[in-house]
Amino acid sequence: MSEAQGLHTKEFTLNVGPHHPSTHGVCRFVLQMEGEVITSVTPVIGYLHRALEKICENRTYEQIIPITDRFEYCTAMSCNMGFSLATEKLAGLEVPERAEYLRVIMLELNRIASHLIWFGTTSLDLGAITPFLYGFREREDILDMFEMTCGQRLTFNYIRPGGVSKDIPKAFIPVCKKFLDAFSAKVDDYERVLTENPIFIARNKDVGILKPETAIAYSVSGPSLRASGVKYDLRRDDPYSIYDRFDFEIPTRENGDCYDRYIVRIREMRESAKIVRQAIEQIPEGPIRSKVKMNFKPPAGEVYCRVENSRGEMGFYIQSVGEKMPLRVKMRGGSYNQLQVMPVLCVGHKIADLVAIMASMDIIMPDVDR
Amino acid sequence: MGVIKKLPVYLEKIPGGNIVTTTLDYVFSQSRASSLWYLLFGTACCAIELMATGASRYDFDRLGMIFRASPRQSDLIIAAGTITKKMAPRLKLLYDQMAEPRYVIAMGGCTVSGGPFYYDSYAVEKGIDHIVPVDVYIPGCPPRPESLLEGCLTLQKRVKRMKIRDWS
Amino acid sequence: MERNQLVSYIKNKFQDTVTLLESGKGESFFQIKPEDLLVFSRAIRDDERLGMDWLSCISGVDTGERFEVVYSVASVVNRIRFNYKLVLDYDKAEIESVQKIWPGANWHERELWELYGINVNNHGNLTRFLLPDNWDQGHPLRKDWDAPDFKRMPEK
Repeated sequence: MSEAQGLHTKEFTLNVGPHHPSTHGVCRFVLQMEGEVITSVTPVIGYLHRALEKICENRTYEQIIPITDRFEYCTAMSCNMGFSLATEKLAGLEVPERAEYLRVIMLELNRIASHLIWFGTTSLDLGAITPFLYGFREREDILDMFEMTCGQRLTFNYIRPGGVSKDIPKAFIPVCKKFLDAFSAKVDDYERVLTENPIFIARNKDVGILKPETAIAYSVSGPSLRASGVKYDLRRDDPYSIYDRFDFEIPTRENGDCYDRYIVRIREMRESAKIVRQAIEQIPEGPIRSKVKMNFKPPAGEVYCRVENSRGEMGFYIQSVGEKMPLRVKMRGGSYNQLQVMPVLCVGHKIADLVAIMASMDIIMPDVDR
Repeated sequence: MGVIKKLPVYLEKIPGGNIVTTTLDYVFSQSRASSLWYLLFGTACCAIELMATGASRYDFDRLGMIFRASPRQSDLIIAAGTITKKMAPRLKLLYDQMAEPRYVIAMGGCTVSGGPFYYDSYAVEKGIDHIVPVDVYIPGCPPRPESLLEGCLTLQKRVKRMKIRDWS
Repeated sequence: MERNQLVSYIKNKFQDTVTLLESGKGESFFQIKPEDLLVFSRAIRDDERLGMDWLSCISGVDTGERFEVVYSVASVVNRIRFNYKLVLDYDKAEIESVQKIWPGANWHERELWELYGINVNNHGNLTRFLLPDNWDQGHPLRKDWDAPDFKRMPEK
């Protein structure tokens, strides 16, 4: 048609980022376009490469905990957790019962907070502002709870090798219960805005379909994997801490498109709230941290430990030579593999879908670049 | 704007001309300070706090601050988050693309001095004042929304003091 | 499979290839020879009882005397995982790419190449990755690496 009218399209290169409001940080894409359609995607990363791994080689184990906060700031608790678990395995430290419960409460609250950021920014990317304000409203309530416990809103330094840094104050449990009671209705509110919204469905349904075999081949993890129908959650399948004591479901969907990823995350928020409720009911009294020496030296050895955070598998590989500083700390974030699979997902879609896919995969840059 | 810049030169020769100049000063600086539109430039952790400041509880809009996605439309760049050596040229480029008068707020320890990445990091720029001139520094890792608001109010005070004579 | 079963299964199945390392703390770490990498990786993925279809992570290590490359693999179907490593001399720092087995290995290998200078054969895209485009100061994660503007944390 086009040639008959003397028009012809030419392939051209389009640069997106690194400073682009909907790339969730500083990710850059170099796109090959044919008209509106994407023919190839090259992610360019490294704009937030802060050399965390080099820094970790020159810090003691306790000094590394604040560094891990910055590794994945949306869910800093699980970074603390991953590193603490690995260190405990390496040094053979015990964790008191109460500390385990405190950890689970904080991890799951943090998962909700992180999903709320995703909820807000995703809808902002797709042109809706209301969900952003809704999501951050509840997030502030969660941050208040963190603040009353450890004094920080974003970078907690709370979960330490051998336990946690502080006990929760008396006011915590009533506040938390009040939050949980109201939260389910709030999630209904969120769903009322988006789940059956025709514009939202049109932008998301059948966009960016991730097949289960592709997802596994690229090691895509977390909600993005479960939306493709693979029921793989490290809390269940590679159990750590005390997750086996709680009754919760692992939501999955079949299609693996953007809409399914949205549904899975929304359901996960409800499940996390369920876990927190059970944990605050069961929490025992007792010490919150076992005796850990300052600048302790774990024996020589190595360990790879992984936890499930809101973006998927977060792994820490630590090699120790018996010094007070580790020889090597390797961090593996969920987004690293999610971003790798983007070229597979985007080819053949329109450019506006790139934003929708990127948002639905919940990619943030610090755990890609480190 | 060229005419207005020369205004004091002509007016001050006339008796009572100062009244016009100072009134104009007031009008310009007040309106400028009350609508500081900022560029959405978040790189790391501070960006989340910047978003939280813009959202429901802290409500940035009441200071007349609205985010813009394009540097051409913004007066202020809030550098929120670590600036690495790879990102530094981009920050400079964005700053150059903004129309004058333009302001910079360095938010968080990383942009002030390198923060927690000062030692042992080969990739982090040790403070953005090597790259662009900074008007207000906000320390913290990350700073609370209240400190960001305070920083913006400080900048507004500074903008309000500006006179036509000082325009570059 | 329990961890003990897993270890003995691998030791039996790949007698000539693997050695179990004592250094793993509560985790299974094996060592294999660099030339066995491709064969071993393919075998553990295709083996029915193992089925390691998931590559968690590839970590490079510079011990100060030699390089080590640690592969952390897991199985989604069988819910197991273990790690295996290669030991490389400084002057023979090269490995084969495992992208054909796990496509997700691509970026991990690029990182090895960039930050450690370990050459990856048959990779196909070894270009600047995390570091700035005009970087010319070598491989920063090596232990002996230094640069004029690199500040170390002062000793107390």
